[in-house]
Amino acid sequence: MKEKMLNIIWPLGFGIAILLLWQVGFLHMIFGLKPYQLPVPTAIAITLSNNLGKALTDCVVTISGALIGMAFGSLIGFMIAAIATFFPKWGYGGMIVVSAFNAIPLVALSSIMNLWFSTGMSQKIGVVTVVCMAAMSMNAYKGLNSLKPFSVDLMHTVAASEWTIFTKLRLPNCLPNVFTALKINIATAIMAAMISEYFASSTSGLGFAIKDSLRKGEMAMGWSYIVVASLAGVILYGIIILVERNAIKWHASQK
Amino acid sequence: MSVERNDRIFVGIVWGIVIIGLWEVIAFLLQNVFQDPMAATKLPYLHVIIATFIQNAGALLGAGLVTFSRAAAGFLVGGIIGIILAVIMSLSKTVERIGLPYLIISQMIPILALAPIIFNIVKDMDSARIIIAAYITFFPVAINMLSGLKAVERDQKDLLYSVAASQVEIYYKLMFPFSMPYLFTGLKIAAPLAITASILVDMLGSSSGIGVKILYALYSNSSNIFWAAVLTSALMGISGYYLVVLGEKVLLPWNKTSSKKGGDNV
Amino acid sequence: MNSPEIQFKNVNMAYKGKSGEDIVALDNVSFDIQEGEFISLLGPSGCGKTTSLRIIGDLLQPTSGEVLVRGLSPREIRLQRKYGIVFQSPVLYDWRTVRRNICLPMEIMKFSKKERTARIDKMLELVGLQDFGQKYPYELSGGMQQRVGIARALALDPEILLMDEPFSALDEFTREKLNEDLLNIWSQTKKTVIFVTHNIPEAVFLSDRVVVLSPHPGRVSAIVDINLPRPRENSVRETSEFYDYIVKIRGSFEGV
Ligand SMILES: Nc1ncnc2c1ncn2[C@@H]1O[C@H](COP(=O)(O)OP(=O)(O)OP(=O)(O)O)[C@@H](O)[C@H]1O
Ligand SMILES: [Mg+2]
Repeated sequence: MKEKMLNIIWPLGFGIAILLLWQVGFLHMIFGLKPYQLPVPTAIAITLSNNLGKALTDCVVTISGALIGMAFGSLIGFMIAAIATFFPKWGYGGMIVVSAFNAIPLVALSSIMNLWFSTGMSQKIGVVTVVCMAAMSMNAYKGLNSLKPFSVDLMHTVAASEWTIFTKLRLPNCLPNVFTALKINIATAIMAAMISEYFASSTSGLGFAIKDSLRKGEMAMGWSYIVVASLAGVILYGIIILVERNAIKWHASQK
Repeated sequence: MSVERNDRIFVGIVWGIVIIGLWEVIAFLLQNVFQDPMAATKLPYLHVIIATFIQNAGALLGAGLVTFSRAAAGFLVGGIIGIILAVIMSLSKTVERIGLPYLIISQMIPILALAPIIFNIVKDMDSARIIIAAYITFFPVAINMLSGLKAVERDQKDLLYSVAASQVEIYYKLMFPFSMPYLFTGLKIAAPLAITASILVDMLGSSSGIGVKILYALYSNSSNIFWAAVLTSALMGISGYYLVVLGEKVLLPWNKTSSKKGGDNV
Repeated sequence: MNSPEIQFKNVNMAYKGKSGEDIVALDNVSFDIQEGEFISLLGPSGCGKTTSLRIIGDLLQPTSGEVLVRGLSPREIRLQRKYGIVFQSPVLYDWRTVRRNICLPMEIMKFSKKERTARIDKMLELVGLQDFGQKYPYELSGGMQQRVGIARALALDPEILLMDEPFSALDEFTREKLNEDLLNIWSQTKKTVIFVTHNIPEAVFLSDRVVVLSPHPGRVSAIVDINLPRPRENSVRETSEFYDYIVKIRGSFEGV
């Protein structure tokens, strides 16, 4: 119990200390910044509360795009991994191709999607889908195939079909990896959605809003959007962790 | 299920042919069957892109190199910061308590979206680039390195402890070499990201680099150049990744299980 | 008789379980070990053999009770670098070749290069791995890896040798050969050896005395003197005295 308290108190105290130092201008002093370059926390908070309605609307646009793309991408990625597992010889090559997708810079991807889709939303979903697909398929493939030694042999001795092996052995085994991928993907998805809004013709979303407020020189406004995006990310990340806890519990009890 | 080496090469070649074939077929369909007026922009023939790439190889690769080398600088800085953070967190429980939540939160801050703000603050293309590439690199490096340092087995530590080794010796002889595969897992994740960051900063108003080429091509509607530049940037990302893989193979010859180790956990 | 080299006095050890409950591994365990003695800790799995050994080696602190080594605490003896430990598993460093694994503790103890090379050569020969010095651990079988772990501890020529089931991963032939080799080394140097095993014939063959532990919680259920003549050779195993000791020790297990 005491451990748990410390786990909360220390980081919380640290965070408050940093915010205070930021507020009183200490951070500006050491980094040599002007207040308009790095607005103080209260200025950001005030801007945000005055602009809350629009900020939330933009947030919904970006996050919904990110989540839809993440769902598509994760699903496709998982299916690729599953297919590659059933056909190991050809699947292995397929996995290399998919991992190459992972190395395509986000910005290039975003420009391509800009050509393919006319609306900002579909373009955003396209970018996020590709980005999330790679991480999921690589992680899921690892989980589906890094089984304990002899566990497949054991299944073969009772003449289990490949399908049974898949559902009874591989699927539970890859669950932790799937969650790892989801945790990576949530951050990447939001980032990818915002980046694609930079380059899109869209006129809404957090990415566009940041670009717009910077063009107008409204730094505090820009920062307030960053805060919103980060908060959304942290909340979604927390939800995934909660689901993971329960799912892995189920996973352990199934063994 | 070990796939034979020759088999693998064969499979790889077949995959390559299939992808090239598919690309050409789709491009053909777009232009001649669907009669899409934008076809040449949406998906030009791969051979056309490659031809453009070869014609402009000097310019493209030169620009690529500029972007690449700046990404590398940020990658290096971020890697070192990540390693230092991981070591400090492995030494002090309190620092780990403070650090870990913020490390995760820091990753939720869409840093690439922060690029314009950072650029606005430092006013210098190259430092902005290095800061962002470093920021993107340090997280996967720190997390993976830390999980490596924490994965050292008790008996392995006790062996050194039993002969009264110093803390420095324990790190130098055991902790660092042990966590190398984990470090490389982190570096492999970070390498393409660092390059992405560098390209993004190119686009925000640099005067050189592959991002500038992409942007100019977009504005001037020269879609072949655009695609050739995108191809270059993809190749940069992939080669960044494989450079790290190569480094791992050379530096860690004893490591036959690298793919199994490494907790790329978040 | 002068005072014992190692004294284990009313030692209790309780581990903390997942939900904070106590897991009693040692319950009021006491025994003495004389200087130069070969003593075995014998008992079924989970009876606290490894725990006792780790307490002597200062790798674990007892919950209560006192352990003295030459009148000092285990910590002071460890800092004086008097211990050599063979672990239950090989505990090799993946990134070091066999030779450099054996070399590791000697590096820490600042042996000269010449000395290190000489000792490594000697030890490799002893454990029959002359041709494997440049191999990495992943290129060796489990039994070969364990022999490297043994060579690493013996190379130090420590004054107190702690061995945790060093031969249990080996086949019967290699085990008997290494049993004999170990006795040879010991008879030449007269080190104190604390040897953990769950193999009764092995304990009888090697030891001056056998401390029999029983599990849940770990207790001393008997201490048996082995008065077989030394030097012992494998033929001892066929004598009736040898057999009698085995029967006697087997009878002393409580409720197993
Ligand atoms: N780190 C630990 N945490 C909790 N309990 C432990 C721990 N290590 C050992 N125990 C418990 O202490 C008891 C004694 O363990 P120990 O490792 O000393 O047994 P052992 O005699 O060496 O057994 P084996 O022959 O299997 O190696 C066991 O019941 C075990 O469950
Ligand atoms: Mg044990």
